[in-house]
Amino acid sequence: MSLGVRLEGLAVRHGDAHVLERTDLELPAGSFTALLGPSGCGKSTLLNLVAGFARPTEGRVTAGGEPVRGPGPERGVVFQHYALFPWRTARGNVEFALKRLGLPRPERRRRALAALAEVGLADGAGKYPAQLSGGMQQRVALARALAAEPEVLLMDEPFGALDALTRTRMQTLLRELWKRRGTTVLFVTHDIDEALSLAERVVVLGGTPGRILADRAVPAGPPDPELRSLIARHLGSG
Amino acid sequence: MHATPSPPGRTRGRPGPALGAAGAVLVLWYLLARSGAVAPGLLPTPGETAAALADSARSGLLATDLGASLARAGQGFALGAVTGGALGFATGCLPGLSAAVTPVISFLRPIPAIALVPLATAWFGIGETAKRLLIAYAVLLVVWLYVHDGVSRIPVSHLRAARSLGAPAHRRFTEVLLPAAAPALLAALRYGASVALLALVAAELGGADSGLAYRLQVDGQFLRVDRMFAGLLVLGLLGVAVDLVLAAIGRRFVHWSAS
Ligand SMILES: Nc1ncnc2c1ncn2[C@@H]1O[C@H](COP(=O)(O)OP(=O)(O)OP(=O)(O)O)[C@@H](O)[C@H]1O
Ligand SMILES: [Mg+2]
Repeated sequence: MSLGVRLEGLAVRHGDAHVLERTDLELPAGSFTALLGPSGCGKSTLLNLVAGFARPTEGRVTAGGEPVRGPGPERGVVFQHYALFPWRTARGNVEFALKRLGLPRPERRRRALAALAEVGLADGAGKYPAQLSGGMQQRVALARALAAEPEVLLMDEPFGALDALTRTRMQTLLRELWKRRGTTVLFVTHDIDEALSLAERVVVLGGTPGRILADRAVPAGPPDPELRSLIARHLGSG
Repeated sequence: MHATPSPPGRTRGRPGPALGAAGAVLVLWYLLARSGAVAPGLLPTPGETAAALADSARSGLLATDLGASLARAGQGFALGAVTGGALGFATGCLPGLSAAVTPVISFLRPIPAIALVPLATAWFGIGETAKRLLIAYAVLLVVWLYVHDGVSRIPVSHLRAARSLGAPAHRRFTEVLLPAAAPALLAALRYGASVALLALVAAELGGADSGLAYRLQVDGQFLRVDRMFAGLLVLGLLGVAVDLVLAAIGRRFVHWSAS
Protein backbone atom coordinates (compact mmCIF):
# COMPACT_ATOMS: atom_id res chain seq x y z
CA MET A 1 0.00 0.00 0.00
CA SER A 2 1.14 3.51 -0.70
CA LEU A 3 -0.32 6.98 -1.00
CA GLY A 4 0.38 9.74 -3.47
CA VAL A 5 1.36 13.18 -2.15
CA ARG A 6 0.46 16.55 -3.67
CA LEU A 7 1.84 19.96 -2.81
CA GLU A 8 -0.14 22.78 -4.40
CA GLY A 9 0.80 26.46 -4.54
CA LEU A 10 2.96 26.24 -1.44
CA ALA A 11 4.49 29.31 0.15
CA VAL A 12 6.38 29.35 3.44
CA ARG A 13 7.43 32.65 5.01
CA HIS A 14 8.91 33.40 8.40
CA GLY A 15 8.31 37.13 8.73
CA ASP A 16 10.44 38.73 6.02
CA ALA A 17 12.21 35.47 5.22
CA HIS A 18 10.59 33.92 2.16
CA VAL A 19 11.65 30.29 2.32
CA LEU A 20 9.44 28.76 -0.38
CA GLU A 21 7.28 30.43 -3.02
CA ARG A 22 4.73 28.97 -5.48
CA THR A 23 5.91 25.40 -5.18
CA ASP A 24 3.91 22.58 -6.78
CA LEU A 25 4.98 18.98 -6.60
CA GLU A 26 3.25 15.67 -7.07
CA LEU A 27 4.65 12.40 -5.78
CA PRO A 28 2.75 9.49 -7.37
CA ALA A 29 1.92 6.55 -5.11
CA GLY A 30 4.87 4.15 -4.92
CA SER A 31 7.39 6.55 -6.47
CA PHE A 32 10.91 7.24 -5.20
CA THR A 33 11.85 10.91 -5.45
CA ALA A 34 15.11 12.53 -4.38
CA LEU A 35 14.99 16.18 -3.35
CA LEU A 36 18.31 17.91 -3.99
CA GLY A 37 19.48 21.42 -3.28
CA PRO A 38 22.09 23.57 -1.58
CA SER A 39 22.03 24.08 2.16
CA GLY A 40 19.28 26.40 3.34
CA CYS A 41 17.16 26.18 0.19
CA GLY A 42 14.14 24.77 2.01
CA LYS A 43 14.43 20.97 1.59
CA SER A 44 13.73 20.21 5.23
CA THR A 45 10.98 22.81 5.25
CA LEU A 46 9.25 21.04 2.38
CA LEU A 47 9.67 17.59 3.92
CA ASN A 48 8.37 18.84 7.28
CA LEU A 49 5.24 20.15 5.57
CA VAL A 50 4.52 16.69 4.22
CA ALA A 51 5.32 15.14 7.61
CA GLY A 52 2.87 17.57 9.20
CA PHE A 53 5.44 19.10 11.55
CA ALA A 54 4.78 22.55 10.07
CA ARG A 55 2.01 24.31 8.15
CA PRO A 56 2.49 26.27 4.92
CA THR A 57 1.77 30.00 4.89
CA GLU A 58 -0.13 29.45 1.64
CA GLY A 59 -1.16 26.44 -0.39
CA ARG A 60 -2.03 22.92 0.62
CA VAL A 61 -0.52 19.50 1.13
CA THR A 62 -2.51 16.31 0.63
CA ALA A 63 -1.62 12.66 1.11
CA GLY A 64 -3.93 10.17 -0.61
CA GLY A 65 -6.26 13.09 -1.33
CA GLU A 66 -6.63 13.94 2.39
CA PRO A 67 -5.29 17.29 3.60
CA VAL A 68 -2.31 16.93 5.94
CA ARG A 69 -3.21 18.42 9.33
CA GLY A 70 -0.37 17.10 11.45
CA PRO A 71 1.97 14.14 11.80
CA GLY A 72 0.42 10.73 11.25
CA PRO A 73 1.54 7.11 11.12
CA GLU A 74 0.71 6.79 7.42
CA ARG A 75 3.63 9.19 6.81
CA GLY A 76 6.76 7.75 8.41
CA VAL A 77 9.87 9.85 8.99
CA VAL A 78 13.55 8.90 9.19
CA PHE A 79 15.60 11.69 10.73
CA GLN A 80 19.18 12.69 9.98
CA HIS A 81 20.26 12.04 13.56
CA TYR A 82 18.11 8.92 13.91
CA ALA A 83 15.98 10.27 16.80
CA LEU A 84 16.03 6.89 18.52
CA PHE A 85 14.85 6.78 22.13
CA PRO A 86 18.05 6.16 24.13
CA TRP A 87 16.12 4.60 27.04
CA ARG A 88 14.79 1.80 24.84
CA THR A 89 16.70 -1.04 23.25
CA ALA A 90 16.66 -1.46 19.48
CA ARG A 91 13.74 -3.85 19.88
CA GLY A 92 12.01 -1.45 22.30
CA ASN A 93 12.31 1.36 19.77
CA VAL A 94 10.64 -0.75 17.11
CA GLU A 95 7.95 -1.93 19.54
CA PHE A 96 7.13 1.71 20.24
CA ALA A 97 5.94 1.96 16.63
CA LEU A 98 3.97 -1.28 16.88
CA LYS A 99 2.03 -0.38 20.03
CA ARG A 100 -0.49 1.56 17.97
CA LEU A 101 -1.68 -1.68 16.37
CA GLY A 102 -2.85 -3.08 19.72
CA LEU A 103 -1.16 -6.45 19.20
CA PRO A 104 -0.60 -8.91 22.02
CA ARG A 105 2.85 -8.60 23.52
CA PRO A 106 4.43 -11.76 22.02
CA GLU A 107 3.20 -10.80 18.56
CA ARG A 108 4.59 -7.29 18.99
CA ARG A 109 7.89 -8.75 20.01
CA ARG A 110 7.93 -11.16 17.09
CA ARG A 111 7.21 -8.38 14.60
CA ALA A 112 9.84 -6.10 16.12
CA LEU A 113 12.47 -8.81 15.76
CA ALA A 114 11.32 -9.46 12.19
CA ALA A 115 11.60 -5.76 11.37
CA LEU A 116 15.14 -5.67 12.79
CA ALA A 117 16.04 -8.81 10.85
CA GLU A 118 14.75 -7.12 7.69
CA VAL A 119 17.35 -4.37 8.09
CA GLY A 120 20.05 -6.91 9.00
CA LEU A 121 20.16 -6.17 12.71
CA ALA A 122 18.75 -9.34 14.27
CA ASP A 123 21.80 -9.58 16.56
CA GLY A 124 21.55 -6.10 17.98
CA ALA A 125 17.92 -6.29 19.15
CA GLY A 126 18.81 -6.11 22.86
CA LYS A 127 21.29 -3.27 22.56
CA TYR A 128 20.70 0.35 23.49
CA PRO A 129 21.30 3.07 20.87
CA ALA A 130 24.45 4.23 22.71
CA GLN A 131 25.90 0.74 22.14
CA LEU A 132 25.29 0.84 18.38
CA SER A 133 27.34 2.45 15.61
CA GLY A 134 25.82 5.24 13.50
CA GLY A 135 24.97 2.86 10.68
CA MET A 136 23.34 0.40 13.07
CA GLN A 137 21.34 3.20 14.70
CA GLN A 138 20.08 4.31 11.32
CA ARG A 139 19.05 0.72 10.58
CA VAL A 140 17.03 0.68 13.78
CA ALA A 141 15.45 4.02 12.83
CA LEU A 142 14.55 2.59 9.43
CA ALA A 143 13.11 -0.56 10.99
CA ARG A 144 11.12 1.54 13.45
CA ALA A 145 9.70 3.76 10.71
CA LEU A 146 8.80 0.76 8.53
CA ALA A 147 7.27 -1.19 11.43
CA ALA A 148 4.49 1.39 11.64
CA GLU A 149 3.69 0.40 8.04
CA PRO A 150 3.71 3.90 6.59
CA GLU A 151 2.45 4.50 3.08
CA VAL A 152 4.81 7.42 2.58
CA LEU A 153 8.40 7.40 3.85
CA LEU A 154 10.03 10.78 4.39
CA MET A 155 13.80 10.80 4.84
CA ASP A 156 15.78 13.95 5.61
CA GLU A 157 19.46 13.36 4.78
CA PRO A 158 19.25 10.02 6.56
CA PHE A 159 22.71 8.85 5.55
CA GLY A 160 24.46 12.22 5.81
CA ALA A 161 26.31 11.31 9.01
CA LEU A 162 27.52 7.87 7.85
CA ASP A 163 30.90 6.90 6.40
CA ALA A 164 31.07 6.11 2.68
CA LEU A 165 30.99 2.31 2.98
CA THR A 166 28.12 2.19 5.49
CA ARG A 167 26.31 4.73 3.36
CA THR A 168 26.53 2.56 0.24
CA ARG A 169 25.23 -0.43 2.22
CA MET A 170 22.32 1.58 3.57
CA GLN A 171 21.47 2.80 0.06
CA THR A 172 21.34 -0.77 -1.21
CA LEU A 173 19.18 -1.77 1.75
CA LEU A 174 16.79 1.12 1.18
CA ARG A 175 16.43 0.29 -2.52
CA GLU A 176 15.59 -3.32 -1.66
CA LEU A 177 13.06 -2.35 0.99
CA TRP A 178 11.41 0.12 -1.36
CA LYS A 179 11.17 -2.46 -4.15
CA ARG A 180 9.66 -4.98 -1.78
CA ARG A 181 7.17 -2.64 -0.12
CA GLY A 182 6.35 -0.10 -2.81
CA THR A 183 6.13 2.74 -0.29
CA THR A 184 6.16 6.28 -1.68
CA VAL A 185 9.59 7.72 -0.78
CA LEU A 186 10.72 11.34 -0.54
CA PHE A 187 14.47 11.39 0.08
CA VAL A 188 16.27 14.64 0.87
CA THR A 189 20.00 14.80 0.18
CA HIS A 190 22.60 17.20 -1.12
CA ASP A 191 24.65 14.47 -2.73
CA ILE A 192 23.97 14.22 -6.49
CA ASP A 193 25.36 10.71 -6.81
CA GLU A 194 23.27 9.46 -3.92
CA ALA A 195 20.17 10.98 -5.52
CA LEU A 196 20.94 9.46 -8.93
CA SER A 197 21.75 5.99 -7.63
CA LEU A 198 18.67 5.76 -5.41
CA ALA A 199 15.76 7.59 -6.97
CA GLU A 200 13.57 7.27 -10.05
CA ARG A 201 13.24 11.01 -10.16
CA VAL A 202 15.32 13.96 -9.02
CA VAL A 203 13.85 17.32 -8.04
CA VAL A 204 16.23 20.24 -7.58
CA LEU A 205 15.21 22.98 -5.19
CA GLY A 206 17.05 26.31 -5.07
CA GLY A 207 17.09 30.08 -5.29
CA THR A 208 15.80 32.68 -2.85
CA PRO A 209 12.99 32.27 -2.19
CA GLY A 210 13.25 28.55 -2.85
CA ARG A 211 11.44 26.99 -5.78
CA ILE A 212 11.78 23.98 -8.05
CA LEU A 213 14.60 24.54 -10.56
CA ALA A 214 14.61 21.12 -12.23
CA ASP A 215 12.55 17.95 -12.19
CA ARG A 216 14.01 14.96 -14.09
CA ALA A 217 13.30 11.26 -14.35
CA VAL A 218 16.36 9.10 -13.72
CA PRO A 219 16.59 6.44 -16.44
CA ALA A 220 17.20 2.89 -15.27
CA GLY A 221 20.55 1.39 -16.16
CA PRO A 222 24.07 2.84 -16.13
CA PRO A 223 24.61 6.37 -14.79
CA ASP A 224 23.93 9.13 -17.31
CA PRO A 225 26.76 11.71 -17.22
CA GLU A 226 24.68 14.27 -19.12
CA LEU A 227 21.89 14.17 -16.55
CA ARG A 228 24.47 14.45 -13.81
CA SER A 229 26.09 17.56 -15.26
CA LEU A 230 22.70 19.12 -15.94
CA ILE A 231 21.71 18.70 -12.30
CA ALA A 232 25.13 19.91 -11.17
CA ARG A 233 24.60 23.09 -13.21
CA HIS A 234 21.26 23.69 -11.50
CA LEU A 235 22.79 23.08 -8.11
CA GLY A 236 25.62 25.48 -8.91
CA SER A 237 23.19 28.21 -9.90
CA GLY A 238 21.10 27.67 -6.75
CA MET B 1 25.24 -17.17 21.52
CA HIS B 2 26.05 -13.52 22.08
CA ALA B 3 26.15 -12.20 25.62
CA THR B 4 23.32 -10.04 26.82
CA PRO B 5 24.79 -6.54 26.94
CA SER B 6 24.35 -4.54 30.11
CA PRO B 7 22.91 -1.06 29.69
CA PRO B 8 25.52 1.63 29.22
CA GLY B 9 26.57 4.12 31.88
CA ARG B 10 26.66 1.72 34.80
CA THR B 11 30.09 2.60 36.12
CA ARG B 12 29.92 3.72 39.71
CA GLY B 13 32.49 5.17 42.10
CA ARG B 14 34.27 2.59 44.25
CA PRO B 15 34.08 3.26 48.00
CA GLY B 16 37.82 2.71 48.63
CA PRO B 17 39.11 6.27 48.10
CA ALA B 18 36.17 7.80 49.98
CA LEU B 19 36.76 5.57 53.02
CA GLY B 20 40.48 6.32 52.87
CA ALA B 21 39.84 10.05 52.88
CA ALA B 22 37.40 9.74 55.79
CA GLY B 23 40.03 7.79 57.75
CA ALA B 24 42.67 10.43 57.04
CA VAL B 25 40.33 13.20 58.24
CA LEU B 26 39.65 11.27 61.45
CA VAL B 27 43.38 10.85 62.14
CA LEU B 28 44.12 14.54 61.45
CA TRP B 29 41.16 15.56 63.59
CA TYR B 30 42.41 13.38 66.45
CA LEU B 31 45.95 14.71 66.20
CA LEU B 32 44.76 18.32 66.08
CA ALA B 33 42.45 17.87 69.09
CA ARG B 34 45.29 16.25 71.06
CA SER B 35 48.04 18.66 70.04
CA GLY B 36 46.84 21.47 72.27
CA ALA B 37 46.86 23.89 69.34
CA VAL B 38 43.16 24.59 69.94
CA ALA B 39 42.06 26.05 73.27
CA PRO B 40 40.79 23.31 75.63
CA GLY B 41 37.07 22.58 75.36
CA LEU B 42 36.65 24.00 71.86
CA LEU B 43 37.58 20.94 69.80
CA PRO B 44 36.45 17.52 71.01
CA THR B 45 38.32 14.39 69.93
CA PRO B 46 36.58 11.89 67.65
CA GLY B 47 36.16 9.69 70.74
CA GLU B 48 34.45 12.41 72.75
CA THR B 49 32.17 13.15 69.79
CA ALA B 50 31.27 9.48 69.49
CA ALA B 51 30.54 9.37 73.21
CA ALA B 52 28.23 12.40 72.94
CA LEU B 53 26.49 10.72 70.02
CA ALA B 54 26.05 7.47 71.94
CA ASP B 55 24.74 9.47 74.86
CA SER B 56 22.00 11.17 72.87
CA ALA B 57 21.16 7.88 71.17
CA ARG B 58 20.74 6.20 74.56
CA SER B 59 18.62 9.02 76.01
CA GLY B 60 16.28 8.89 73.01
CA LEU B 61 16.96 12.52 72.17
CA LEU B 62 18.65 11.59 68.91
CA ALA B 63 15.65 9.57 67.74
CA THR B 64 13.24 12.38 68.65
CA ASP B 65 15.30 15.02 66.88
CA LEU B 66 16.00 12.86 63.86
CA GLY B 67 12.33 11.94 63.59
CA ALA B 68 11.16 15.55 63.84
CA SER B 69 13.72 16.76 61.30
CA LEU B 70 13.10 13.92 58.87
CA ALA B 71 9.35 14.47 59.01
CA ARG B 72 9.73 18.18 58.29
CA ALA B 73 12.32 17.77 55.58
CA GLY B 74 10.53 14.79 54.03
CA GLN B 75 7.12 16.42 53.86
CA GLY B 76 8.52 19.74 52.68
CA PHE B 77 10.66 17.98 50.09
CA ALA B 78 7.75 15.91 48.78
CA LEU B 79 5.50 18.93 48.45
CA GLY B 80 8.20 21.04 46.80
CA ALA B 81 9.38 18.26 44.48
CA VAL B 82 5.88 17.45 43.22
CA THR B 83 4.84 21.07 42.61
CA GLY B 84 8.26 22.06 41.25
CA GLY B 85 8.34 19.02 38.98
CA ALA B 86 4.85 19.74 37.64
CA LEU B 87 5.71 23.39 37.04
CA GLY B 88 8.96 22.37 35.36
CA PHE B 89 7.14 20.11 32.93
CA ALA B 90 4.52 22.78 32.23
CA THR B 91 6.95 25.63 31.56
CA GLY B 92 9.43 23.34 29.81
CA CYS B 93 6.78 22.25 27.32
CA LEU B 94 5.12 25.63 26.81
CA PRO B 95 7.58 28.32 25.70
CA GLY B 96 4.93 31.06 26.14
CA LEU B 97 4.41 30.18 29.79
CA SER B 98 8.15 29.87 30.26
CA ALA B 99 8.80 33.40 29.00
CA ALA B 100 6.27 34.73 31.50
CA VAL B 101 7.62 32.96 34.59
CA THR B 102 11.38 32.94 33.94
CA PRO B 103 11.85 36.53 35.24
CA VAL B 104 9.92 35.60 38.38
CA ILE B 105 12.22 32.65 39.07
CA SER B 106 15.31 34.73 38.33
CA PHE B 107 14.13 37.21 40.96
CA LEU B 108 13.21 34.66 43.63
CA ARG B 109 16.15 32.32 43.23
CA PRO B 110 18.92 34.42 44.79
CA ILE B 111 16.88 35.03 47.98
CA PRO B 112 18.14 32.44 50.47
CA ALA B 113 15.52 30.44 52.34
CA ILE B 114 16.82 31.71 55.68
CA ALA B 115 15.84 35.26 54.67
CA LEU B 116 12.24 34.08 54.41
CA VAL B 117 12.04 32.62 57.92
CA PRO B 118 10.68 35.81 59.55
CA LEU B 119 8.07 36.17 56.83
CA ALA B 120 7.04 32.51 57.07
CA THR B 121 6.69 32.88 60.83
CA ALA B 122 4.62 36.06 60.45
CA TRP B 123 2.30 34.38 57.98
CA PHE B 124 2.00 30.86 59.32
CA GLY B 125 3.07 31.17 62.95
CA ILE B 126 5.83 29.23 64.66
CA GLY B 127 4.36 25.76 64.08
CA GLU B 128 5.13 22.98 61.62
CA THR B 129 3.23 24.52 58.70
CA ALA B 130 5.65 27.40 58.38
CA LYS B 131 8.64 25.05 58.43
CA ARG B 132 7.21 22.62 55.90
CA LEU B 133 6.20 25.42 53.55
CA LEU B 134 9.60 27.05 53.81
CA ILE B 135 11.35 23.79 52.93
CA ALA B 136 8.83 23.09 50.16
CA TYR B 137 9.39 26.54 48.70
CA ALA B 138 13.17 26.17 48.62
CA VAL B 139 12.89 22.70 47.04
CA LEU B 140 10.24 23.85 44.57
CA LEU B 141 12.49 26.55 43.13
CA VAL B 142 15.45 24.28 42.39
CA VAL B 143 13.37 21.34 41.17
CA TRP B 144 11.37 23.64 38.91
CA LEU B 145 14.51 25.13 37.43
CA TYR B 146 16.24 21.79 36.82
CA VAL B 147 13.18 20.06 35.42
CA HIS B 148 12.30 23.04 33.25
CA ASP B 149 15.80 23.05 31.83
CA GLY B 150 15.76 19.30 31.22
CA VAL B 151 12.35 19.30 29.56
CA SER B 152 13.10 22.24 27.30
CA ARG B 153 16.27 20.46 26.12
CA ILE B 154 14.43 17.35 24.95
CA PRO B 155 15.26 17.04 21.25
CA VAL B 156 12.28 18.10 19.15
CA SER B 157 12.97 15.12 16.90
CA HIS B 158 12.04 12.72 19.76
CA LEU B 159 8.60 14.27 20.06
CA ARG B 160 8.20 14.47 16.30
CA ALA B 161 9.19 10.82 15.90
CA ALA B 162 6.63 9.82 18.54
CA ARG B 163 3.86 11.74 16.77
CA SER B 164 4.81 10.31 13.38
CA LEU B 165 4.68 6.84 14.89
CA GLY B 166 1.09 7.47 15.89
CA ALA B 167 1.60 7.78 19.66
CA PRO B 168 -1.30 9.70 21.26
CA ALA B 169 -0.68 12.45 23.84
CA HIS B 170 -0.73 10.19 26.91
CA ARG B 171 1.86 7.86 25.40
CA ARG B 172 4.02 10.79 24.33
CA PHE B 173 4.00 11.94 27.95
CA THR B 174 4.67 8.64 29.70
CA GLU B 175 6.90 7.02 27.07
CA VAL B 176 8.83 9.99 25.68
CA LEU B 177 8.63 13.12 27.81
CA LEU B 178 9.03 11.40 31.18
CA PRO B 179 11.99 9.15 30.29
CA ALA B 180 13.64 11.93 28.28
CA ALA B 181 13.39 14.22 31.30
CA ALA B 182 14.34 11.51 33.81
CA PRO B 183 18.06 12.38 34.04
CA ALA B 184 17.18 16.02 34.74
CA LEU B 185 14.46 14.96 37.16
CA LEU B 186 16.93 12.83 39.07
CA ALA B 187 19.49 15.66 39.23
CA ALA B 188 16.67 17.94 40.40
CA LEU B 189 15.71 15.57 43.21
CA ARG B 190 19.29 15.15 44.39
CA TYR B 191 19.89 18.87 44.43
CA GLY B 192 16.44 19.43 45.93
CA ALA B 193 17.22 17.03 48.79
CA SER B 194 20.36 18.95 49.69
CA VAL B 195 18.41 22.21 49.57
CA ALA B 196 15.74 20.65 51.81
CA LEU B 197 18.42 20.04 54.48
CA LEU B 198 19.64 23.63 54.19
CA ALA B 199 16.11 24.98 54.52
CA LEU B 200 15.42 22.58 57.38
CA VAL B 201 18.29 24.07 59.38
CA ALA B 202 17.10 27.61 58.61
CA ALA B 203 13.55 26.72 59.62
CA GLU B 204 14.53 25.03 62.89
CA LEU B 205 16.87 27.84 63.90
CA GLY B 206 13.89 30.15 63.44
CA GLY B 207 12.11 28.45 66.34
CA ALA B 208 11.29 24.83 67.17
CA ASP B 209 11.11 22.50 70.16
CA SER B 210 12.89 19.54 68.61
CA GLY B 211 15.00 18.69 65.60
CA LEU B 212 18.67 18.29 64.72
CA ALA B 213 19.32 21.99 64.08
CA TYR B 214 17.25 23.06 67.09
CA ARG B 215 19.42 20.76 69.23
CA LEU B 216 22.57 22.33 67.78
CA GLN B 217 21.31 25.70 68.90
CA VAL B 218 20.56 24.47 72.43
CA ASP B 219 23.93 22.71 72.68
CA GLY B 220 25.55 25.93 71.47
CA GLN B 221 23.98 27.88 74.30
CA PHE B 222 25.55 25.44 76.78
CA LEU B 223 28.85 25.38 74.90
CA ARG B 224 28.58 21.58 74.53
CA VAL B 225 31.03 21.40 71.65
CA ASP B 226 31.11 17.60 71.75
CA ARG B 227 27.34 17.43 71.26
CA MET B 228 27.46 20.06 68.54
CA PHE B 229 30.04 17.99 66.70
CA ALA B 230 27.84 14.94 67.08
CA GLY B 231 24.86 16.89 65.71
CA LEU B 232 26.82 18.18 62.74
CA LEU B 233 28.05 14.67 62.07
CA VAL B 234 24.47 13.39 61.99
CA LEU B 235 23.38 16.21 59.64
CA GLY B 236 26.26 15.47 57.29
CA LEU B 237 25.67 11.72 57.31
CA LEU B 238 21.97 12.29 56.71
CA GLY B 239 22.77 14.33 53.62
CA VAL B 240 25.16 11.69 52.31
CA ALA B 241 22.69 8.87 52.98
CA VAL B 242 19.84 10.64 51.19
CA ASP B 243 22.04 11.38 48.20
CA LEU B 244 23.29 7.78 48.01
CA VAL B 245 19.72 6.48 48.06
CA LEU B 246 18.61 8.89 45.33
CA ALA B 247 21.68 8.07 43.24
CA ALA B 248 20.98 4.35 43.56
CA ILE B 249 17.36 4.86 42.51
CA GLY B 250 18.65 6.92 39.63
CA ARG B 251 21.02 4.22 38.41
CA ARG B 252 18.10 1.84 38.42
CA PHE B 253 15.79 4.06 36.37
CA VAL B 254 18.19 6.16 34.31
CA HIS B 255 20.57 3.39 33.31
CA TRP B 256 21.02 4.67 29.74
CA SER B 257 22.41 8.05 30.77
CA ALA B 258 26.09 8.31 31.70
CA SER B 259 25.63 10.75 34.59
N1 LIG C 1 11.58 29.42 12.07
C1 LIG C 1 12.28 30.01 11.09
N2 LIG C 1 12.41 31.36 11.06
C2 LIG C 1 13.11 31.97 10.08
N3 LIG C 1 13.73 31.33 9.08
C3 LIG C 1 13.62 29.98 9.05
C4 LIG C 1 12.91 29.26 10.05
N4 LIG C 1 13.00 27.94 9.76
C5 LIG C 1 13.74 27.86 8.63
N5 LIG C 1 14.11 29.07 8.21
C6 LIG C 1 14.93 29.36 7.01
O1 LIG C 1 14.42 28.62 5.96
C7 LIG C 1 15.46 28.28 5.06
C8 LIG C 1 15.33 26.83 4.66
O2 LIG C 1 15.63 26.01 5.77
P1 LIG C 1 15.67 24.42 5.60
O3 LIG C 1 16.04 23.86 6.93
O4 LIG C 1 14.43 23.96 4.98
O5 LIG C 1 16.89 24.26 4.58
P2 LIG C 1 17.53 22.91 4.01
O6 LIG C 1 17.42 22.99 2.53
O7 LIG C 1 16.96 21.73 4.68
O8 LIG C 1 19.04 23.10 4.42
P3 LIG C 1 20.12 21.98 4.87
O9 LIG C 1 20.59 21.32 3.61
O10 LIG C 1 21.20 22.79 5.50
O11 LIG C 1 19.45 21.05 5.81
C9 LIG C 1 16.77 28.60 5.75
O12 LIG C 1 17.32 29.75 5.13
C10 LIG C 1 16.36 28.93 7.16
O13 LIG C 1 17.16 29.95 7.67
MG1 LIG D 1 17.70 20.26 6.06
